[in-house]
Amino acid sequence: MRDGGEGRSRLLLIVLIVSALFLITLDLRGVGVLEGARQGTQTILSPFQRAGSVVISPFKNFFSDVTHLGRTRNQIEKLRADNAKLRATLLNRKNADAQLLQLKSVLDLAGTAGFKVVNARVISQGASQSFSQTITIDAGTTAGIRKNMTVLAGTGITGVVKEVYSHTSLIMLATDPAFRIGVRIAGSQQIGILSGRGSRSGSLQLLDNQTNVKVGDVLLSRGSVANRPFVPGVPVGYVTAVDNSAGAIAQSATVHLYTNFSTLGVVSVVVAASKVNPGDALIPKKPRPTPVPTVTIYVTPSPSPTK
Amino acid sequence: MITRQLSLSTPVFLFIFGIQEVVVNQFRLPGGGFSVFFIFALVWAILSTPEVAALSGFASGLLMDLSPSASGPIGQWTLIMIASSYAISFFGSGNENVKGNPIGVTFFISAAVFITEILFVISGALLGVQTGSFGQVLLTTIGISLWTLVVTPIFLPIFSRLHDFALDTRSKI
Repeated sequence: MRDGGEGRSRLLLIVLIVSALFLITLDLRGVGVLEGARQGTQTILSPFQRAGSVVISPFKNFFSDVTHLGRTRNQIEKLRADNAKLRATLLNRKNADAQLLQLKSVLDLAGTAGFKVVNARVISQGASQSFSQTITIDAGTTAGIRKNMTVLAGTGITGVVKEVYSHTSLIMLATDPAFRIGVRIAGSQQIGILSGRGSRSGSLQLLDNQTNVKVGDVLLSRGSVANRPFVPGVPVGYVTAVDNSAGAIAQSATVHLYTNFSTLGVVSVVVAASKVNPGDALIPKKPRPTPVPTVTIYVTPSPSPTK
Repeated sequence: MITRQLSLSTPVFLFIFGIQEVVVNQFRLPGGGFSVFFIFALVWAILSTPEVAALSGFASGLLMDLSPSASGPIGQWTLIMIASSYAISFFGSGNENVKGNPIGVTFFISAAVFITEILFVISGALLGVQTGSFGQVLLTTIGISLWTLVVTPIFLPIFSRLHDFALDTRSKI
């Protein structure tokens, strides 16, 4: 009896494992039914994600703020006094204002380059249990979005459209380990490949061993054939460290990406690029220090002192 | 009996999966965050017999594969979750230090999350899924395990009661 129970248990386990392996095989062979299943899940989930995004948005940036508390302590101290006056108003409008700011900067960027864009709100962040870095936006095929289109944020490249559904799209972020983009260094025009590393820093591999890269160099997207997946001239990031290993064929470097992926609220998908390459026109301007006004007071002694 | 158990368990699994996709995924937490559905599936497994655990592992793995943010091929999480759930139930059942003790369950689940994630990375490497550098994977795995350690005690009584309700067992923790 006991042997029979164990036998059944083993048989069940084998059947389940074989089923899983069967599913993997079907998916790797590109069977459409399985792809449709994932698409169906997203279609069912998207209205709930949209509603959830609206309800949860006031608390969304809480953890990100906590993470950066140490680095921005001075700034927080300075702003605290101002915030006290505006807190009541700000509580209601904070989220909307942040999204408006992101939208404005991304439209500025797209406008300078002459890109035709579709703006969308981020309605869900992907789970990191699969080590992938994705977001879901509330625009899909009905808005003109197609697979492999460039996605921008206010300061530069955000990612690429990985999957597109009728009313939502899944975006692979530039931080995803599977993300690759051809880049050129502004000015010198050296080319290389930038890979995501799971964090805000990327890894640059130059293609030519005769060229040099230095800290501070700005990287722009090279662009792809027919502008998909990447339109040219979009700022990607800047070099923070250079690896000059003697054994390496070509130089490699660490790159800080311009986009702050932890606070993404609004993004733009480039649905059509201009015929003219924007060149280096989109490089973000370096912040100028605010001039401090100096007031000089001359005191001249009175000729006849008053008594 | 089985029909009743299935009809009660299915909505519970779908509901927790919905909570994960609609609510928990809205937050980008430091260190990779946690997956409430992942924790739920493992708690369900530890409270069940190995056969039921393998079946629930299959169902939960399939749902994790159907998540739009899943990176691997459909079936990868299914395979991993069958193995993990069966192993958890196999090693947990009969061990009162683990099964009857909430602290034991919490540590056991955290360790299981860590091992399952490592298994996912290894199987992903074999299937050609890119998961990032070794350091980043290690940090994320440790982060997810620590989050699991923190949040499991909060969810454990709820999941235990749901299991008790659906499968009509007396495995309350």
